[in-house]
Amino acid sequence: MVLSLLLLPLLLLLLYFIVRPRPVTIPIKNRHVFITGGSIGIGLAIAEQAAAEGAARISLLARSLDKLEAAKQSIQKAYEKVEVSIFPADVRDYDAVQHAIREAGPIDILVVNHGVYVIQELENQGLDVVKFMIDVNLMGTFNVIKAALPLMKDRKNRGPASIALMSSIAGQVCVYGYAAYSATKFGLRGLAEALQQEVISDDIHLSLIFPPVTETPGLEEAMKTMPEISKIMVGSDMMKAEEIGKITINGIKCGRFSIPCNLLGQMVAIATAGLSPQRSFVMASIEVVFAGVFRFVALLFQWH
Amino acid sequence: MVFFTLLYLPLLLLLLYFIVRPHPVTIPIKNRHVFITGGSIGIGLAIAKQAASEGARISLLARSLDKLKEAKQSIEKAYDNVDVSIFAADVRDYDAVQVAIKKAGPIDVLVVNHGVYNIQELENQESDTVKFMIDVNLMGSINVIKAALPLIKDRKDKGPASIAFMSSMAGQKGTYGLAAYSATKFGLRGLAEALQQELISDNIHISIIFAPAVDTPGLEEARKKMPEISKIMHGSDMMKAEEIGKITINGIKSGKFSIPCNLLGQMVAVATAGVSPQRSFFMASIEVVFAGFFRFLALLFQFKMYGIIQKWHPQKRK
Repeated sequence: MVLSLLLLPLLLLLLYFIVRPRPVTIPIKNRHVFITGGSIGIGLAIAEQAAAEGAARISLLARSLDKLEAAKQSIQKAYEKVEVSIFPADVRDYDAVQHAIREAGPIDILVVNHGVYVIQELENQGLDVVKFMIDVNLMGTFNVIKAALPLMKDRKNRGPASIALMSSIAGQVCVYGYAAYSATKFGLRGLAEALQQEVISDDIHLSLIFPPVTETPGLEEAMKTMPEISKIMVGSDMMKAEEIGKITINGIKCGRFSIPCNLLGQMVAIATAGLSPQRSFVMASIEVVFAGVFRFVALLFQWH
Repeated sequence: MVFFTLLYLPLLLLLLYFIVRPHPVTIPIKNRHVFITGGSIGIGLAIAKQAASEGARISLLARSLDKLKEAKQSIEKAYDNVDVSIFAADVRDYDAVQVAIKKAGPIDVLVVNHGVYNIQELENQESDTVKFMIDVNLMGSINVIKAALPLIKDRKDKGPASIAFMSSMAGQKGTYGLAAYSATKFGLRGLAEALQQELISDNIHISIIFAPAVDTPGLEEARKKMPEISKIMHGSDMMKAEEIGKITINGIKSGKFSIPCNLLGQMVAVATAGVSPQRSFFMASIEVVFAGFFRFLALLFQFKMYGIIQKWHPQKRK
């Protein structure tokens, strides 16, 4: 016992030196934040939080021009100084996305937040529904990133940039009925881990946000066709979009790779840390020390 | 302190013995029907040969009829009484896949092994290439599963069945140059974990094989355009397709969820166990006890990788 108390500071010190990539702070104030799926739900909440923190410009990309206009009005009413640009486009259409991004101008913080989900047993789910989720959540994300990357790399002396991907707890843990949706969200993590290695030298930093079930128009839609087992497993603990918005912006500012949204999420993040990067030596120490405990808890979860 | 741990260990083992879910299972290969996508070359063919050597009936699905014929001949030459059926189809074409699978008949072991990969920085990679990988590796796998599920549930002996996914170490950790490929392989894992929950009541058991770099025609093709940094990061340690074939069939037989292929793979599997199922209480104990240690190693690994990037990336830009 005494030995472990002795080893702990040693561990902390060692981790302080080895954690890569190095910690970074990414300012929001006076910068340009571009949000896909930004007209409703979590996307709109993120936009409002960014506006509250003094972002100079907010760009929203989504399919519906009406919802975009409503969102723009709502943000400008609450926060006078911010400039809001809106771009109607479908993320599956690369050319439209590229056009919008070019019009928007140099991006400091790209929040790839758009997503669709339909929860159902894979056996009963239509292939067109599966394809829809893969095309929007995965390919759509690639489209946005590929369109934005050259412009983000080209920003001159604008400081550290961020690419934040909205994932889900379903992107860390898989649950009955979530096969196709989880496939797309797990995929985002592979993308993020690899991309971080590719863009670190350009001072661009990846973040993945893992919200639990959140009260949004998207969820309302999904609950209509959700199987009973999924509803039971997911429970009724829902977070509000505004909370996720705050947590997202805070996580982006700290340059965190994995951004969980509540205590359960934090525990899942430690259990599923795997080989993902961890910039904070304190978090790294917690991960190392408690990994075993959390794997045990994860096994208990399977049992349950 | 040592005494303390020695006391806790058997307690842990006992506890895990009771709680590990799903329960362990054995999945026989002999006299059963094994259906392999991407089965005409590389790892797929190696798996087919291994299954044939263990007395299974084999069906191969791939795009090229010529390569399928060669594969069929090569298997029949090596193993006398084996029954090999071949089906030419592109996994992106659901109808073609469904026709092939219906012709093949009830399936006991489905090996979703097909895959394509292109190793390049995402910035430089064509969107078409990204889409190709997603369509084939992810959507294609889902097509195969949806077409096969009714026939797996229909299998004659009602014994335990298996759906095995060929993944890669790139499906456990995202790596430079593999953004799109890793996305598809990580996706397979999400799919597999959910499917296991949905299909356990039908006595269908999911496995994912995490292969390292393997000496196959696929890899040869990819190496031509691989960026320098990737070559440095991956090293030159390659396994042979035959080894992967054996490891795959053995893993499927023991009903393992995660099937790594070498020591490094085993360590990565423990580090990335996350919330995935573990049927063996022994492996579970190792995961719990060593999780912290492996997370530490994983952090060391990041240290090394980012060091390489720092060293090589600025040079590239000059």
